[in-house]
Amino acid sequence: MAYVKQILGVFFLVIVICGGPIMLTTVKEEVVFAPEKVVSHSVYLIQQIAGGSLGTYYLGDYERSIAADILPFAISTFELLFTSVLIAVLAGLMFGLFLQRFGFVRKFQRLLDLVSTIPDFILIFLSILAAVSFYKLTNIRIITLSPTSDAANSWFPILLLSIGPTIFLLKVISLKYVQIGGEDYIKTALAKGMSIWHVLIHHVYKNIMPFLLADLKKTIAITVANLFIVEYLLNVVGLTRFIFSKSSAYQFNSAVMGLMGIIFLSLLVYLLIRVILYLFERVVVYK
Amino acid sequence: MQKRFSWSLWIGSILVALLIILGLVGPHIAPYEVDFQERLSSTVVDGKTVITYPPLPPSEAHWLGTDKWGADLLTLLLYGAPYTVFVTIAISFIRLVLGTILGLYIGIQDKPQAWWLSIENAWSYMPIFIPVYFLLVGVNINSELSTSGLVTMFIFTVAILGVPSVAASIRQKTEQIKETQYVLAAVSLGAGREQIIFRHILPHLKEQLVIILVTEMIAIMTLMGLLGMFDLFVGGTYMTLDPVIYKSITNEWAGLLGSYRSFVYGNSIWIFLSPLIAFILAIGSFTLLAKGLRDKFEQSYNRTPFI
Repeated sequence: MAYVKQILGVFFLVIVICGGPIMLTTVKEEVVFAPEKVVSHSVYLIQQIAGGSLGTYYLGDYERSIAADILPFAISTFELLFTSVLIAVLAGLMFGLFLQRFGFVRKFQRLLDLVSTIPDFILIFLSILAAVSFYKLTNIRIITLSPTSDAANSWFPILLLSIGPTIFLLKVISLKYVQIGGEDYIKTALAKGMSIWHVLIHHVYKNIMPFLLADLKKTIAITVANLFIVEYLLNVVGLTRFIFSKSSAYQFNSAVMGLMGIIFLSLLVYLLIRVILYLFERVVVYK
Repeated sequence: MQKRFSWSLWIGSILVALLIILGLVGPHIAPYEVDFQERLSSTVVDGKTVITYPPLPPSEAHWLGTDKWGADLLTLLLYGAPYTVFVTIAISFIRLVLGTILGLYIGIQDKPQAWWLSIENAWSYMPIFIPVYFLLVGVNINSELSTSGLVTMFIFTVAILGVPSVAASIRQKTEQIKETQYVLAAVSLGAGREQIIFRHILPHLKEQLVIILVTEMIAIMTLMGLLGMFDLFVGGTYMTLDPVIYKSITNEWAGLLGSYRSFVYGNSIWIFLSPLIAFILAIGSFTLLAKGLRDKFEQSYNRTPFI
Protein backbone atom coordinates (compact mmCIF):
# COMPACT_ATOMS: atom_id res chain seq x y z
CA MET A 1 0.00 0.00 0.00
CA ALA A 2 2.81 2.38 0.90
CA TYR A 3 4.41 1.74 -2.48
CA VAL A 4 1.18 2.52 -4.33
CA LYS A 5 0.94 5.73 -2.35
CA GLN A 6 4.50 6.65 -3.25
CA ILE A 7 4.00 5.90 -6.94
CA LEU A 8 0.86 8.03 -6.97
CA GLY A 9 2.72 10.80 -5.17
CA VAL A 10 5.53 10.71 -7.71
CA PHE A 11 3.04 10.72 -10.58
CA PHE A 12 1.29 13.73 -9.10
CA LEU A 13 4.58 15.57 -8.62
CA VAL A 14 5.63 14.83 -12.19
CA ILE A 15 2.32 16.14 -13.51
CA VAL A 16 2.63 19.32 -11.47
CA ILE A 17 6.18 19.91 -12.68
CA CYS A 18 5.45 19.08 -16.31
CA GLY A 19 2.34 21.20 -16.14
CA GLY A 20 4.44 24.30 -15.46
CA PRO A 21 4.63 25.55 -19.04
CA ILE A 22 0.91 24.99 -19.53
CA MET A 23 -0.28 26.72 -16.41
CA LEU A 24 2.13 29.64 -16.36
CA THR A 25 2.02 31.65 -19.58
CA THR A 26 1.97 35.26 -20.61
CA VAL A 27 -0.86 36.92 -22.43
CA LYS A 28 0.10 40.42 -23.53
CA GLU A 29 1.79 41.91 -20.50
CA GLU A 30 0.29 39.72 -17.83
CA VAL A 31 1.32 36.44 -16.33
CA VAL A 32 -1.58 34.03 -16.46
CA PHE A 33 -1.82 31.25 -13.92
CA ALA A 34 -4.25 28.59 -15.12
CA PRO A 35 -3.94 25.31 -13.20
CA GLU A 36 -7.21 24.04 -14.69
CA LYS A 37 -5.45 23.50 -18.01
CA VAL A 38 -3.15 20.98 -16.36
CA VAL A 39 -6.15 19.09 -15.05
CA SER A 40 -7.69 18.81 -18.50
CA HIS A 41 -4.36 17.73 -20.00
CA SER A 42 -3.82 15.08 -17.35
CA VAL A 43 -7.36 13.77 -17.76
CA TYR A 44 -6.62 13.36 -21.46
CA LEU A 45 -3.33 11.64 -20.61
CA ILE A 46 -4.97 9.21 -18.19
CA GLN A 47 -7.70 8.47 -20.73
CA GLN A 48 -5.06 7.57 -23.27
CA ILE A 49 -3.19 5.35 -20.82
CA ALA A 50 -6.47 3.67 -19.89
CA GLY A 51 -7.15 3.17 -23.60
CA GLY A 52 -3.95 1.14 -23.87
CA SER A 53 -1.71 3.58 -25.72
CA LEU A 54 0.70 6.18 -24.50
CA GLY A 55 -0.34 8.78 -27.04
CA THR A 56 1.72 10.48 -29.70
CA TYR A 57 4.26 13.23 -29.84
CA TYR A 58 5.92 15.36 -32.48
CA LEU A 59 9.55 14.82 -33.37
CA GLY A 60 10.25 17.68 -35.73
CA ASP A 61 7.33 17.58 -38.13
CA TYR A 62 6.49 13.91 -37.72
CA GLU A 63 3.90 12.60 -35.37
CA ARG A 64 5.16 9.45 -33.70
CA SER A 65 3.75 7.06 -31.17
CA ILE A 66 5.32 7.34 -27.74
CA ALA A 67 4.85 3.63 -27.01
CA ALA A 68 6.93 2.66 -30.04
CA ASP A 69 9.80 4.96 -29.15
CA ILE A 70 9.95 4.77 -25.40
CA LEU A 71 11.67 1.39 -25.20
CA PRO A 72 14.70 2.02 -27.46
CA PHE A 73 15.09 5.49 -25.96
CA ALA A 74 14.92 4.06 -22.46
CA ILE A 75 17.49 1.38 -23.28
CA SER A 76 20.07 3.88 -24.49
CA THR A 77 19.43 6.11 -21.49
CA PHE A 78 19.71 3.13 -19.18
CA GLU A 79 23.05 2.12 -20.69
CA LEU A 80 24.40 5.62 -20.14
CA LEU A 81 23.06 5.96 -16.64
CA PHE A 82 23.96 2.51 -15.35
CA THR A 83 27.49 2.44 -16.74
CA SER A 84 28.27 5.90 -15.45
CA VAL A 85 27.02 5.19 -11.94
CA LEU A 86 28.87 1.88 -11.94
CA ILE A 87 32.09 3.61 -13.01
CA ALA A 88 31.57 6.19 -10.27
CA VAL A 89 31.07 3.53 -7.58
CA LEU A 90 34.03 1.44 -8.74
CA ALA A 91 36.35 4.42 -9.07
CA GLY A 92 35.16 5.77 -5.74
CA LEU A 93 35.90 2.50 -3.95
CA MET A 94 39.15 1.95 -5.83
CA PHE A 95 40.74 5.33 -5.31
CA GLY A 96 38.88 6.44 -2.21
CA LEU A 97 39.32 3.25 -0.22
CA PHE A 98 41.63 0.54 -1.52
CA LEU A 99 44.35 2.61 -3.11
CA GLN A 100 44.01 5.66 -0.90
CA ARG A 101 47.16 4.88 1.08
CA PHE A 102 49.41 5.33 -1.96
CA GLY A 103 50.83 8.79 -2.39
CA PHE A 104 50.10 9.11 -6.08
CA VAL A 105 46.40 8.47 -5.49
CA ARG A 106 46.26 11.27 -2.97
CA LYS A 107 47.97 13.57 -5.46
CA PHE A 108 45.41 12.51 -8.05
CA GLN A 109 42.67 13.35 -5.58
CA ARG A 110 44.07 16.78 -4.96
CA LEU A 111 43.93 17.32 -8.70
CA LEU A 112 40.31 16.17 -8.73
CA ASP A 113 39.53 18.56 -5.88
CA LEU A 114 40.82 21.35 -8.03
CA VAL A 115 38.78 20.15 -11.00
CA SER A 116 35.64 19.79 -8.92
CA THR A 117 35.51 23.53 -8.27
CA ILE A 118 34.34 23.87 -11.85
CA PRO A 119 30.66 22.94 -12.29
CA ASP A 120 29.96 19.66 -14.06
CA PHE A 121 28.33 21.14 -17.13
CA ILE A 122 31.37 23.31 -17.79
CA LEU A 123 33.60 20.25 -17.45
CA ILE A 124 31.44 18.59 -20.09
CA PHE A 125 31.89 21.63 -22.32
CA LEU A 126 35.63 21.66 -21.79
CA SER A 127 35.80 17.97 -22.70
CA ILE A 128 33.92 18.64 -25.93
CA LEU A 129 36.32 21.49 -26.62
CA ALA A 130 39.26 19.17 -25.97
CA ALA A 131 37.78 16.48 -28.20
CA VAL A 132 37.26 18.93 -31.05
CA SER A 133 40.77 20.28 -30.88
CA PHE A 134 42.12 16.74 -30.56
CA TYR A 135 40.32 15.91 -33.81
CA LYS A 136 41.76 19.00 -35.49
CA LEU A 137 45.27 18.03 -34.40
CA THR A 138 45.31 14.31 -35.00
CA ASN A 139 42.30 13.60 -37.21
CA ILE A 140 41.13 10.97 -34.73
CA ARG A 141 37.46 11.32 -34.09
CA ILE A 142 36.27 11.06 -30.49
CA ILE A 143 32.87 12.64 -30.64
CA THR A 144 30.21 12.11 -33.21
CA LEU A 145 27.19 14.29 -33.08
CA SER A 146 25.07 12.41 -35.56
CA PRO A 147 23.35 9.56 -33.72
CA THR A 148 22.88 7.57 -36.94
CA SER A 149 26.48 7.81 -38.07
CA ASP A 150 28.69 4.71 -38.28
CA ALA A 151 31.23 6.35 -36.04
CA ALA A 152 28.72 6.96 -33.26
CA ASN A 153 30.23 5.73 -30.01
CA SER A 154 28.83 5.49 -26.57
CA TRP A 155 31.99 5.56 -24.50
CA PHE A 156 32.51 9.29 -24.83
CA PRO A 157 29.08 10.25 -23.44
CA ILE A 158 29.51 7.63 -20.71
CA LEU A 159 32.88 9.07 -19.80
CA LEU A 160 31.49 12.62 -19.65
CA LEU A 161 28.50 11.51 -17.63
CA SER A 162 30.64 9.68 -15.09
CA ILE A 163 32.77 12.75 -14.27
CA GLY A 164 30.22 14.37 -11.95
CA PRO A 165 29.21 11.37 -9.82
CA THR A 166 32.81 10.09 -9.60
CA ILE A 167 34.04 13.36 -8.16
CA PHE A 168 31.18 13.45 -5.67
CA LEU A 169 31.50 9.85 -4.52
CA LEU A 170 35.27 9.97 -4.32
CA LYS A 171 35.01 12.97 -2.03
CA VAL A 172 32.48 11.26 0.23
CA ILE A 173 34.44 8.01 0.47
CA SER A 174 37.85 9.53 1.07
CA LEU A 175 36.44 11.85 3.72
CA LYS A 176 34.99 8.85 5.54
CA TYR A 177 38.24 6.93 4.99
CA VAL A 178 40.18 9.62 6.79
CA GLN A 179 37.68 9.67 9.65
CA ILE A 180 37.42 5.90 10.04
CA GLY A 181 41.15 5.44 9.54
CA GLY A 182 41.72 7.41 12.73
CA GLU A 183 39.49 5.20 14.91
CA ASP A 184 40.96 3.16 17.70
CA TYR A 185 39.80 -0.19 16.39
CA ILE A 186 41.90 0.34 13.28
CA LYS A 187 44.89 0.97 15.50
CA THR A 188 44.12 -2.16 17.47
CA ALA A 189 43.77 -4.27 14.34
CA LEU A 190 47.07 -2.99 12.99
CA ALA A 191 48.77 -3.50 16.34
CA LYS A 192 47.64 -7.12 16.28
CA GLY A 193 49.53 -7.51 13.05
CA MET A 194 46.66 -7.94 10.63
CA SER A 195 47.53 -7.26 7.04
CA ILE A 196 46.53 -3.96 5.54
CA TRP A 197 44.21 -5.60 2.99
CA HIS A 198 42.45 -7.45 5.77
CA VAL A 199 41.95 -4.24 7.70
CA LEU A 200 40.78 -2.40 4.60
CA ILE A 201 38.20 -5.02 3.70
CA HIS A 202 36.98 -6.05 7.12
CA HIS A 203 37.24 -2.88 9.12
CA VAL A 204 37.22 0.09 6.80
CA TYR A 205 35.02 -1.16 3.97
CA LYS A 206 32.30 -2.44 6.28
CA ASN A 207 32.14 0.89 8.07
CA ILE A 208 32.18 2.96 4.91
CA MET A 209 29.35 0.90 3.40
CA PRO A 210 26.43 2.62 5.20
CA PHE A 211 27.64 6.03 4.09
CA LEU A 212 28.18 4.82 0.56
CA LEU A 213 24.66 3.42 0.42
CA ALA A 214 23.20 6.60 1.89
CA ASP A 215 24.94 8.72 -0.69
CA LEU A 216 24.19 6.39 -3.58
CA LYS A 217 20.82 8.05 -4.11
CA LYS A 218 22.45 11.45 -4.19
CA THR A 219 25.02 10.11 -6.66
CA ILE A 220 22.27 8.93 -8.96
CA ALA A 221 20.50 12.28 -8.64
CA ILE A 222 23.69 14.05 -9.74
CA THR A 223 24.07 11.66 -12.65
CA VAL A 224 20.50 12.27 -13.76
CA ALA A 225 20.98 16.02 -13.65
CA ASN A 226 24.05 15.65 -15.85
CA LEU A 227 22.25 13.17 -18.09
CA PHE A 228 20.04 15.96 -19.41
CA ILE A 229 23.08 17.97 -20.45
CA VAL A 230 25.06 15.10 -21.93
CA GLU A 231 22.15 13.80 -23.99
CA TYR A 232 21.25 17.31 -25.10
CA LEU A 233 24.73 18.45 -26.06
CA LEU A 234 25.97 15.23 -27.63
CA ASN A 235 22.74 14.39 -29.46
CA VAL A 236 22.30 11.06 -27.72
CA VAL A 237 18.84 9.75 -28.49
CA GLY A 238 17.40 9.03 -25.08
CA LEU A 239 14.50 9.73 -22.78
CA THR A 240 15.37 13.37 -22.32
CA ARG A 241 14.37 13.87 -25.94
CA PHE A 242 10.79 13.46 -24.77
CA ILE A 243 11.27 16.38 -22.41
CA PHE A 244 13.54 18.86 -24.15
CA SER A 245 12.81 18.79 -27.82
CA LYS A 246 15.16 20.86 -29.93
CA SER A 247 12.88 21.41 -32.88
CA SER A 248 9.30 21.32 -31.72
CA ALA A 249 7.20 23.02 -29.08
CA TYR A 250 6.74 21.73 -25.55
CA GLN A 251 4.54 18.63 -25.31
CA PHE A 252 2.92 17.69 -22.03
CA ASN A 253 2.30 14.01 -22.76
CA SER A 254 5.78 13.13 -23.82
CA ALA A 255 7.33 15.20 -21.01
CA VAL A 256 5.35 13.27 -18.39
CA MET A 257 6.33 9.96 -19.99
CA GLY A 258 9.98 10.97 -20.24
CA LEU A 259 10.22 12.14 -16.66
CA MET A 260 8.42 9.05 -15.31
CA GLY A 261 10.74 6.89 -17.39
CA ILE A 262 13.83 8.59 -15.99
CA ILE A 263 12.57 8.21 -12.42
CA PHE A 264 11.87 4.54 -13.06
CA LEU A 265 15.30 4.03 -14.60
CA SER A 266 17.06 5.68 -11.68
CA LEU A 267 15.24 3.34 -9.32
CA LEU A 268 16.31 0.39 -11.44
CA VAL A 269 19.92 1.60 -11.49
CA TYR A 270 19.82 2.05 -7.72
CA LEU A 271 18.58 -1.49 -7.17
CA LEU A 272 21.10 -2.97 -9.60
CA ILE A 273 24.01 -1.20 -7.94
CA ARG A 274 22.78 -2.44 -4.56
CA VAL A 275 22.73 -5.98 -5.94
CA ILE A 276 26.26 -5.63 -7.32
CA LEU A 277 27.54 -4.29 -4.01
CA TYR A 278 25.80 -7.12 -2.17
CA LEU A 279 27.43 -9.70 -4.45
CA PHE A 280 30.80 -8.04 -3.94
CA GLU A 281 30.31 -8.29 -0.21
CA ARG A 282 29.35 -11.96 -0.41
CA VAL A 283 32.23 -12.90 -2.71
CA VAL A 284 35.08 -10.79 -1.39
CA VAL A 285 34.28 -9.79 2.15
CA TYR A 286 32.47 -12.81 3.59
CA LYS A 287 33.82 -15.40 1.13
CA MET B 1 47.68 27.49 17.36
CA GLN B 2 49.58 29.25 14.66
CA LYS B 3 47.44 31.15 12.21
CA ARG B 4 48.17 30.38 8.60
CA PHE B 5 47.79 32.89 5.85
CA SER B 6 44.84 31.72 3.82
CA TRP B 7 45.46 32.29 0.14
CA SER B 8 42.09 31.13 -1.04
CA LEU B 9 40.25 33.39 1.39
CA TRP B 10 42.18 36.48 0.35
CA ILE B 11 42.20 35.86 -3.39
CA GLY B 12 38.56 34.83 -3.25
CA SER B 13 37.52 37.97 -1.38
CA ILE B 14 39.47 40.22 -3.73
CA LEU B 15 38.00 38.56 -6.81
CA VAL B 16 34.45 38.74 -5.45
CA ALA B 17 34.97 42.40 -4.59
CA LEU B 18 36.22 42.99 -8.13
CA LEU B 19 33.16 41.22 -9.52
CA ILE B 20 30.85 43.45 -7.50
CA ILE B 21 32.70 46.56 -8.67
CA LEU B 22 32.47 45.27 -12.23
CA GLY B 23 28.75 44.79 -11.75
CA LEU B 24 28.40 48.38 -10.56
CA VAL B 25 30.49 50.14 -13.18
CA GLY B 26 30.39 47.61 -16.03
CA PRO B 27 27.89 49.31 -18.35
CA HIS B 28 29.62 52.68 -17.86
CA ILE B 29 33.10 51.56 -18.88
CA ALA B 30 32.01 49.47 -21.85
CA PRO B 31 33.86 50.55 -25.03
CA TYR B 32 30.79 50.42 -27.27
CA GLU B 33 27.05 50.86 -26.96
CA VAL B 34 25.19 47.67 -26.20
CA ASP B 35 23.45 47.63 -29.58
CA PHE B 36 26.60 48.43 -31.54
CA GLN B 37 27.13 46.21 -34.58
CA GLU B 38 30.28 45.88 -36.64
CA ARG B 39 29.30 45.90 -40.29
CA LEU B 40 30.82 44.50 -43.43
CA SER B 41 33.71 46.64 -44.54
CA SER B 42 36.26 46.54 -47.31
CA THR B 43 39.82 47.76 -47.03
CA VAL B 44 42.55 47.89 -49.63
CA VAL B 45 45.62 45.88 -48.67
CA ASP B 46 48.52 45.76 -51.16
CA GLY B 47 46.27 46.90 -53.98
CA LYS B 48 43.71 44.22 -53.32
CA THR B 49 40.32 44.78 -51.79
CA VAL B 50 39.85 42.68 -48.70
CA ILE B 51 36.38 42.32 -47.27
CA THR B 52 36.23 41.90 -43.51
CA TYR B 53 33.05 40.72 -41.95
CA PRO B 54 32.01 39.59 -38.50
CA PRO B 55 32.79 37.48 -36.54
CA LEU B 56 36.00 39.45 -36.09
CA PRO B 57 38.78 37.81 -34.07
CA PRO B 58 40.18 39.61 -31.02
CA SER B 59 42.03 42.74 -32.08
CA GLU B 60 42.85 46.16 -30.73
CA ALA B 61 39.45 47.56 -31.64
CA HIS B 62 37.66 44.55 -30.14
CA TRP B 63 39.62 43.05 -27.27
CA LEU B 64 37.59 39.90 -27.10
CA GLY B 65 36.46 39.93 -30.73
CA THR B 66 32.92 40.21 -31.99
CA ASP B 67 30.19 37.64 -32.32
CA LYS B 68 28.66 36.46 -35.59
CA TRP B 69 26.32 39.46 -35.69
CA GLY B 70 29.09 41.99 -35.12
CA ALA B 71 28.45 42.82 -31.48
CA ASP B 72 31.53 43.54 -29.38
CA LEU B 73 31.89 40.70 -26.87
CA LEU B 74 33.61 42.76 -24.17
CA THR B 75 30.75 45.27 -24.30
CA LEU B 76 28.14 42.55 -24.01
CA LEU B 77 29.95 40.99 -21.05
CA LEU B 78 30.25 44.33 -19.28
CA TYR B 79 26.58 45.09 -19.82
CA GLY B 80 25.63 41.65 -18.56
CA ALA B 81 27.83 41.77 -15.45
CA PRO B 82 25.29 43.54 -13.17
CA TYR B 83 22.66 40.90 -13.88
CA THR B 84 25.03 37.99 -13.29
CA VAL B 85 26.41 39.36 -10.05
CA PHE B 86 23.40 40.97 -8.43
CA VAL B 87 20.80 38.38 -9.41
CA THR B 88 23.04 35.73 -7.85
CA ILE B 89 23.53 37.73 -4.67
CA ALA B 90 19.84 38.62 -4.37
CA ILE B 91 18.68 35.04 -4.78
CA SER B 92 21.12 33.67 -2.24
CA PHE B 93 20.13 36.32 0.33
CA ILE B 94 16.44 35.54 -0.05
CA ARG B 95 17.13 31.82 0.18
CA LEU B 96 19.26 32.30 3.26
CA VAL B 97 16.74 34.46 5.12
CA LEU B 98 13.71 32.30 4.34
CA GLY B 99 15.60 29.04 4.81
CA THR B 100 17.06 30.11 8.14
CA ILE B 101 13.71 31.16 9.59
CA LEU B 102 12.02 27.98 8.37
CA GLY B 103 14.89 25.73 9.49
CA LEU B 104 15.09 27.31 12.97
CA TYR B 105 11.38 27.02 13.67
CA ILE B 106 11.16 23.46 12.37
CA GLY B 107 14.32 22.37 14.14
CA ILE B 108 13.21 23.73 17.51
CA GLN B 109 10.05 21.57 17.58
CA ASP B 110 10.11 18.74 20.10
CA LYS B 111 9.19 16.04 17.61
CA PRO B 112 10.66 15.66 14.13
CA GLN B 113 8.15 16.98 11.61
CA ALA B 114 7.35 14.09 9.29
CA TRP B 115 5.72 16.21 6.57
CA TRP B 116 8.74 18.45 6.39
CA LEU B 117 11.19 15.55 6.34
CA SER B 118 9.41 14.03 3.37
CA ILE B 119 9.54 17.33 1.46
CA GLU B 120 13.21 17.68 2.31
CA ASN B 121 13.90 14.14 1.21
CA ALA B 122 12.06 14.34 -2.08
CA TRP B 123 13.50 17.72 -2.89
CA SER B 124 17.10 16.70 -2.30
CA TYR B 125 16.93 14.22 -5.18
CA MET B 126 15.32 16.61 -7.62
CA PRO B 127 17.72 18.35 -9.98
CA ILE B 128 16.50 21.87 -9.25
CA PHE B 129 16.82 23.12 -12.81
CA ILE B 130 13.94 20.94 -13.97
CA PRO B 131 11.16 22.59 -11.95
CA VAL B 132 12.66 26.04 -12.57
CA TYR B 133 12.81 25.38 -16.28
CA PHE B 134 9.25 24.11 -16.50
CA LEU B 135 7.86 26.98 -14.46
CA LEU B 136 9.60 29.69 -16.42
CA VAL B 137 9.74 28.40 -19.98
CA GLY B 138 6.18 29.46 -20.77
CA VAL B 139 6.82 32.96 -19.52
CA ASN B 140 10.40 33.68 -20.41
CA ILE B 141 10.72 33.17 -24.16
CA ASN B 142 9.67 36.06 -26.40
CA SER B 143 7.82 37.53 -23.49
CA GLU B 144 6.06 40.85 -23.55
CA LEU B 145 6.84 41.42 -19.92
CA SER B 146 9.49 43.99 -19.08
CA THR B 147 13.01 42.79 -18.43
CA SER B 148 12.86 43.91 -14.82
CA GLY B 149 9.61 41.99 -14.35
CA LEU B 150 11.19 38.84 -15.75
CA VAL B 151 14.30 39.24 -13.61
CA THR B 152 12.15 39.69 -10.49
CA MET B 153 10.14 36.64 -11.37
CA PHE B 154 13.30 34.62 -11.93
CA ILE B 155 14.74 35.74 -8.61
CA PHE B 156 11.67 34.74 -6.63
CA THR B 157 11.08 31.44 -8.42
CA VAL B 158 14.66 30.27 -7.97
CA ALA B 159 14.85 31.60 -4.43
CA ILE B 160 11.69 29.87 -3.23
CA LEU B 161 12.47 26.57 -4.95
CA GLY B 162 15.88 26.57 -3.26
CA VAL B 163 14.62 27.24 0.26
CA PRO B 164 14.16 23.57 1.32
CA SER B 165 17.83 22.70 0.92
CA VAL B 166 18.96 25.69 3.01
CA ALA B 167 16.29 25.00 5.59
CA ALA B 168 17.43 21.37 5.76
CA SER B 169 20.97 22.16 6.81
CA ILE B 170 19.84 24.84 9.27
CA ARG B 171 17.33 22.40 10.75
CA GLN B 172 20.00 19.75 11.28
CA LYS B 173 22.30 22.21 13.02
CA THR B 174 19.44 23.53 15.15
CA GLU B 175 18.56 20.04 16.26
CA GLN B 176 22.15 19.46 17.32
CA ILE B 177 22.43 22.70 19.26
CA LYS B 178 19.01 22.18 20.84
CA GLU B 179 20.41 19.20 22.75
CA THR B 180 23.29 21.13 24.35
CA GLN B 181 23.49 21.85 28.06
CA TYR B 182 23.21 25.58 27.81
CA VAL B 183 19.95 25.38 25.89
CA LEU B 184 18.66 23.04 28.57
CA ALA B 185 19.75 25.55 31.18
CA ALA B 186 17.98 28.34 29.33
CA VAL B 187 14.82 26.25 29.10
CA SER B 188 14.86 25.49 32.81
CA LEU B 189 15.35 29.19 33.54
CA GLY B 190 12.13 29.77 31.66
CA ALA B 191 13.32 31.09 28.33
CA GLY B 192 10.67 31.17 25.63
CA ARG B 193 11.00 29.77 22.12
CA GLU B 194 12.03 33.05 20.49
CA GLN B 195 14.52 33.73 23.24
CA ILE B 196 16.18 30.36 22.67
CA ILE B 197 16.20 30.71 18.89
CA PHE B 198 17.56 34.22 18.68
CA ARG B 199 19.76 34.42 21.77
CA HIS B 200 21.14 30.91 22.01
CA ILE B 201 20.95 29.12 18.68
CA LEU B 202 21.29 31.80 16.00
CA PRO B 203 24.63 33.18 17.31
CA HIS B 204 26.02 29.68 16.99
CA LEU B 205 25.00 29.47 13.37
CA LYS B 206 26.78 32.65 12.28
CA GLU B 207 29.71 30.95 10.59
CA GLN B 208 27.47 28.32 9.08
CA LEU B 209 25.26 31.03 7.60
CA VAL B 210 28.15 32.79 5.89
CA ILE B 211 29.29 29.54 4.32
CA ILE B 212 25.77 28.67 3.18
CA LEU B 213 25.43 32.13 1.62
CA VAL B 214 28.53 31.68 -0.50
CA THR B 215 27.86 28.05 -1.46
CA GLU B 216 24.34 29.03 -2.49
CA MET B 217 25.84 31.65 -4.79
CA ILE B 218 27.89 28.94 -6.47
CA ALA B 219 24.83 26.73 -6.80
CA ILE B 220 22.78 29.56 -8.28
CA MET B 221 25.41 30.47 -10.86
CA THR B 222 25.60 26.80 -11.86
CA LEU B 223 21.83 26.72 -12.14
CA MET B 224 21.81 29.83 -14.34
CA GLY B 225 24.43 28.22 -16.55
CA LEU B 226 22.37 25.04 -16.84
CA LEU B 227 19.24 26.96 -17.71
CA GLY B 228 21.28 28.81 -20.31
CA MET B 229 22.07 25.46 -21.96
CA PHE B 230 18.35 25.01 -22.47
CA ASP B 231 17.86 28.55 -23.81
CA LEU B 232 16.27 29.96 -20.72
CA PHE B 233 18.10 33.18 -19.93
CA VAL B 234 17.80 35.47 -16.95
CA GLY B 235 15.73 38.48 -17.90
CA GLY B 236 14.16 36.99 -20.98
CA THR B 237 15.04 35.05 -24.10
CA TYR B 238 14.64 36.62 -27.49
CA MET B 239 13.94 33.98 -30.10
CA THR B 240 13.99 34.47 -33.85
CA LEU B 241 12.19 31.86 -35.88
CA ASP B 242 13.97 31.81 -39.21
CA PRO B 243 16.62 30.67 -38.47
CA VAL B 244 15.88 29.60 -34.90
CA ILE B 245 18.28 31.61 -32.76
CA TYR B 246 18.01 32.27 -29.05
CA LYS B 247 19.52 35.45 -27.68
CA SER B 248 19.82 36.76 -24.18
CA ILE B 249 18.14 40.12 -23.71
CA THR B 250 20.18 41.13 -20.69
CA ASN B 251 23.50 39.66 -21.96
CA GLU B 252 23.87 37.95 -18.63
CA TRP B 253 27.01 35.75 -18.66
CA ALA B 254 25.36 32.38 -18.31
CA GLY B 255 22.92 33.46 -20.99
CA LEU B 256 25.72 34.47 -23.36
CA LEU B 257 27.40 31.15 -22.71
CA GLY B 258 24.19 29.33 -23.54
CA SER B 259 23.37 31.27 -26.65
CA TYR B 260 26.90 30.96 -28.06
CA ARG B 261 27.27 27.28 -27.20
CA SER B 262 27.04 26.12 -30.83
CA PHE B 263 30.27 28.00 -31.61
CA VAL B 264 32.17 25.37 -29.64
CA TYR B 265 32.26 23.32 -32.84
CA GLY B 266 33.19 26.16 -35.18
CA ASN B 267 36.34 27.99 -36.12
CA SER B 268 35.49 31.26 -34.38
CA ILE B 269 36.10 29.69 -31.02
CA TRP B 270 36.65 33.03 -29.23
CA ILE B 271 32.91 33.70 -29.38
CA PHE B 272 32.38 30.74 -27.08
CA LEU B 273 35.55 31.13 -25.03
CA SER B 274 35.00 34.73 -23.89
CA PRO B 275 31.76 34.15 -21.96
CA LEU B 276 33.07 30.75 -20.82
CA ILE B 277 36.17 32.25 -19.26
CA ALA B 278 34.19 35.09 -17.71
CA PHE B 279 31.73 32.62 -16.24
CA ILE B 280 34.44 30.30 -14.90
CA LEU B 281 36.21 33.29 -13.33
CA ALA B 282 33.00 34.42 -11.65
CA ILE B 283 32.12 30.99 -10.32
CA GLY B 284 35.75 30.29 -9.42
CA SER B 285 36.03 33.39 -7.26
CA PHE B 286 32.96 32.40 -5.28
CA THR B 287 34.35 28.87 -4.94
CA LEU B 288 37.67 30.17 -3.66
CA LEU B 289 35.89 32.37 -1.16
CA ALA B 290 33.81 29.43 0.05
CA LYS B 291 36.88 27.23 0.40
CA GLY B 292 38.74 29.94 2.28
CA LEU B 293 35.85 30.50 4.66
CA ARG B 294 35.44 26.79 5.27
CA ASP B 295 39.14 26.39 6.05
CA LYS B 296 38.97 29.33 8.41
CA PHE B 297 35.93 28.12 10.30
CA GLU B 298 36.84 24.48 10.31
CA GLN B 299 37.01 23.16 13.86
CA SER B 300 40.24 21.37 14.62
CA TYR B 301 39.01 17.81 14.24
CA ASN B 302 41.78 16.90 11.88
CA ARG B 303 42.78 13.32 12.43
CA THR B 304 45.47 11.39 10.65
CA PRO B 305 44.52 7.90 9.56
CA PHE B 306 46.64 5.04 10.86
CA ILE B 307 46.74 3.27 7.51
